[in-house]
Formats: sequence, C-alpha cells, structure tokens
Amino acid sequence: MSVAAVPAASVDLQRSPRALSRRRAIRWFRWSILGPLIVLLAVVLMPVLLLQLYFSFHQWSVYLGSWSEAEYVGLDLFGEVLTDPRFGWAVVRSLAFATGSTIGCFLVGFALAFLMYKPFRGQALYYTIFILPMLTVPVVVAYTAEMLLYQSGPINDLISRITGIEFKPMWLTDPNIALMTVMLLEIWNWAPFSFIILLAGLAAIPKEPIEAAEILGASRWRIFWEVQLPLLRPVIFLALVLRFLEAMAEFPKTWALLQGGPGTATETLPVYIFLTTWQYFEISKGAVMSYIVMVMMIVIVLFAIRLLRREKRSLDAMYGQAAREAAA
Amino acid sequence: MTSKSRRRRIAAILRYAALTAWAVVAFFPIFWMISTSFKPDTQWFAWPPFYFPHPPTLSNYLNVWFGAEEYAATQYAISSQKPLISLMNSTIIAGTSTLLSVLFGSVLAYGVSRYRILSETRMFQLLMLRMIPPIVIVAPLSLYYSALGLLDSMTGLILIYFLTTLPYAVWMTKSFIDEVPREIEHAAEILGASRWRTIFEIVLPLIRSGLVATFLFILILTWSEYLLALIITKTQVTTLPIELSKYQGTTEGRVYGRQAALSVGITIPLIIVGLIIRRHLARGFSFGMVRR
Repeated sequence: MSVAAVPAASVDLQRSPRALSRRRAIRWFRWSILGPLIVLLAVVLMPVLLLQLYFSFHQWSVYLGSWSEAEYVGLDLFGEVLTDPRFGWAVVRSLAFATGSTIGCFLVGFALAFLMYKPFRGQALYYTIFILPMLTVPVVVAYTAEMLLYQSGPINDLISRITGIEFKPMWLTDPNIALMTVMLLEIWNWAPFSFIILLAGLAAIPKEPIEAAEILGASRWRIFWEVQLPLLRPVIFLALVLRFLEAMAEFPKTWALLQGGPGTATETLPVYIFLTTWQYFEISKGAVMSYIVMVMMIVIVLFAIRLLRREKRSLDAMYGQAAREAAA
Repeated sequence: MTSKSRRRRIAAILRYAALTAWAVVAFFPIFWMISTSFKPDTQWFAWPPFYFPHPPTLSNYLNVWFGAEEYAATQYAISSQKPLISLMNSTIIAGTSTLLSVLFGSVLAYGVSRYRILSETRMFQLLMLRMIPPIVIVAPLSLYYSALGLLDSMTGLILIYFLTTLPYAVWMTKSFIDEVPREIEHAAEILGASRWRTIFEIVLPLIRSGLVATFLFILILTWSEYLLALIITKTQVTTLPIELSKYQGTTEGRVYGRQAALSVGITIPLIIVGLIIRRHLARGFSFGMVRR
C-alpha cells in the first residue's frame, strides 16, 4: 500500500538509506494526515450509523423513557415500512421530483450555455444575473415563492396581464400541481449550477476539431451532434448526476413551503422521514426508512461514481495522449 | 453574402431575446423580495399587487433586525426574533467550519496530489459523504449529540458542517494544487524544508486565490444549510435560515414584508460572495471534468 505512495522517480534509489528514510517520512506524513480524518469519521459518523442500525431493529418512541430499553423487534419494522403505501408514494414522488428537476435544470442550463459560450457584448452581465438564483438561500426561495405564488399574487397577475387571459392556478394549494410547483422552484434555484458547468465545458472544448469539421464542410447541426456533444459528454454526465443526487436530498424548499402538503402531495422521502421522526415521533420507523433510503442512495451513488470515473478516465486518456503528442 | 450577415443578425437578436427572457425569470423573484421588503404592511398582499413600494419604507428592516417597537404596533410584531444574534451565530459557525474544512482539505489535497495518499476510488468515495442525503442521519445524530452535550451548541454544528463540506474542499483545492509546478517543492526539499513547511510556506501561499475561492464557495453551502441546523439548534444557537423559518408558524398573519427584510439580509452576503468568486464557480462544481 505504501509502496504505491512513493513517486516513481525514487524507485531506482530504493535500496539507499536515504531513500528508505524518505519512504518512512512519507509514510509518517501520510498517516499524520489520514489519521485525524479516520479518527473523526470513527468518532462522529460511526456511532451515528450504529445508532441508526440499533433503532432499525428496536421499537422505540420518545414516550418510552431511555432509548436503551427499546424492545427488539427484528425485521418487523422493515416489513412495516416496506408495506407502507405512503412510503412507496414518497419514493415515487422523490424519483419523479428528482428526474423532472434534473431534466429541467439540464435543458435550461444547456440552452443558456449554448447561447453564451462564444464571447458577445453583455456576456458578463448575463452571466452575473444567471447565477443569482443559485446564491439565494433555499429557505429564502421558499418564502419568496410563497409571496409570489398565492392565487391572486404577482406571478398570476403578471402572466394574466401579459397574455390577456385569466390565469389563476393555485400553485400551492392544488394537490395536483403542488409537486410541480416545487419542481419549478428547484429548476429556478439550480439551473445556474448546470449552466455554469456546461458553459465551462463548452468553452473548454478545443477549437481544432470544430474548425477541421467546418473545413470539411460539415453543417453546424452535424458539428453539434458529432463533435461538440461527444466531447461534452463527461460534463453532461456530471451535470445530470450531481443534480439528481442533490434533488433526491432536497428538503428546505419543500418543507419550508408546504410541509408535505396539501394532503401528501409534496411528501418526498426527506419530508416523510422528517415527519415520521419529528412530528409523529416514531424514531424507529424513521430509522428504518432512513436505512432503506441510505442503501438505495448508496447504490445510486456507486453507480454514479462508476459513470463519472469512466468519463474521467477517458478524459485523462484523451488529454494524456494529446500531451504526449504535443511533446513528441 | 448579405443574406448570411442578415441571418447572423437575426440569430444575434434571437439570442438576446432568449437570454433576456431567462434573465427576467431569474431576477424577478429577487426583485420581488427586495421590493416587498420596502413595502408598508398594506401593500404586502394587496390586489392588484404593488410592483414597487409606494412609498418605500424602512420599517420592515427596523422591526425585523433591530426589533424597533414603534414599527411593530400591529399584530405582526414578533418579539421573540433575534436576528442579530443569529447573524453572529451564522457568521461564527459558517466561518469556522469553512475555515477548518479548507485548511484540512487543502493539506489532504496536497497529500493526494503529490503522494496519492488517497486513491482515485477513495477520492470518489469521499464524495459520498456529500451525496448521501443528510436526512438519513439527522435523527441518530441528534441523539448522539444530546448524549455528548453537543446539541444546541456551535461546536456540534461546526463539526458536522466541517465533515460534510470536506469532500468539496479536497476536490476543489486539489485542482489548484495540481497546477503548481513540482520543481519549486523539489527545490525546497533539497534545501532541507520539511513537508509541512513546504505546504504552509510554499504551496498554500502559491494557491492563495484558489483557497479564497474555495473558502467562499464552501461558505455558500454552510451559510445556507437548513436541515441540520433545524435539528441540532434549538434555542441557544440559531442560524439565520432557522431564524427565517420561525415565520412558518405565522403564515396566517402573512408578514411578507418582515420575511422579505430578513431574507434580503440573509441573501446579500451570499450574493456578494458569489459575485466575487463567479469565475471560480465552475471549478468548484466540475470535479476535474473540465480541462483547459
């Protein structure tokens, strides 16, 4: 393990006492950095995960006095949660919310980035305005949305005035559209994220292949599909994956704005877990749901990491090759 | 040729139209928040809506931030608010945890960049700390914290913010350290400087602006964090987002002007910070996927 840590340059000096002491020094250096990290994870994170595991198998609620008295119930709670239709719907809602807002953020972000990646007058101003929503604290987004979206509020008023049609959807109180409202807020809030990395990605695409394709007479459409898009693939993956994961965890806007309501219309996984734990005080049930969600998310994250790593590898290979060619 | 230049002009106009349309969408809610924060209480949810305060008043700010009683003579007065204390709490908590995160993160990043003390797999696994939704650990975390006496304390919040932002700090500072030529360090090593001295006296000063960017980037995350603060803080220590969320219980009263005044105060620091580091934002998000 520590052998890999030695830079390749010192391999030929391996036997000399100086190299040995250097290796020892590097090992010391390595553990003096990693040590605190491991201790921290062991002290803060491990007990939390163990407690979570404990509560998943022991029925406990706050009315029961000390939590160490909780009764062992085996897998009962898992059965209860997995057959709970409300939990199932929360999963569906979360996935729908995350998918919808990810696609929305991507489309908006990509359109803006594509319109902006070449320099033009006013570029800096537009960039500044476009990143503002991301700098707005999520809770503030929720409260501002409340001011904007009540039925006779400014948004409906503005749209009615512009289109001349009476436009009066109940954004926040109609159970059929409440989740979509939160999704739109998420898109407003986080499209800048997709925009920023896609813009950086588009601007970083080397000009030579595009110029070469132009000389060969390719149409702009073909250049876009066959040159720019493939070169942009790693960044696109990143935009989609990170946004999806963050959207799965979205809590502040949904909670501060609607607390899962009207009815259960916006009850996503984080909201349902929060309600179960902090309003119904079913700590154990909340723990089981957390565990299920955690396992689910770890699977998704591992899959995402595989994707990202593969993209990064191909990028490394490509740029490594380019660097070697430049050196030769 | 002329038809081509005309087509180009139309394309430019369409581009400006599309960009301006989204600029309006992006800016309108922020405009509304600022506008409402200056409105007297009769205009908070009047119909038809007032787009500009008429006449503008500072009463919302005076009431919310300084608890000025004479402006709070209505039912909307909320005397339990203490936003200035929250402002201080937020500053200390976000500032300290971010500083720790950047400091430790950059040393770790140096180790990864120069000695591969974490493999690429481990680096991605580190990201998991950030990618698993925090909701899955808040309940046991709060029990654990209450056992340790860390509930409702700054230390508790700082600790958990430090851990959850560390992955970003490592990834971001690593991208800056990777760009520092190694020759300088080799020279320092030959001259007999220890690794720690090399880090703190040579490498970190060289990436100063990168460190500032990382610091501000993570500050955005810790400043606006909501869920963990909601659970871990109770009465002694509240951060600004939690202070704002206290208005949730009072939606019957609809104290929009007050909420807006508080919201503006919470948002302005972040907008300033964001504009300072706007050029570096892409790097914070891109995890080595964007090459230049």
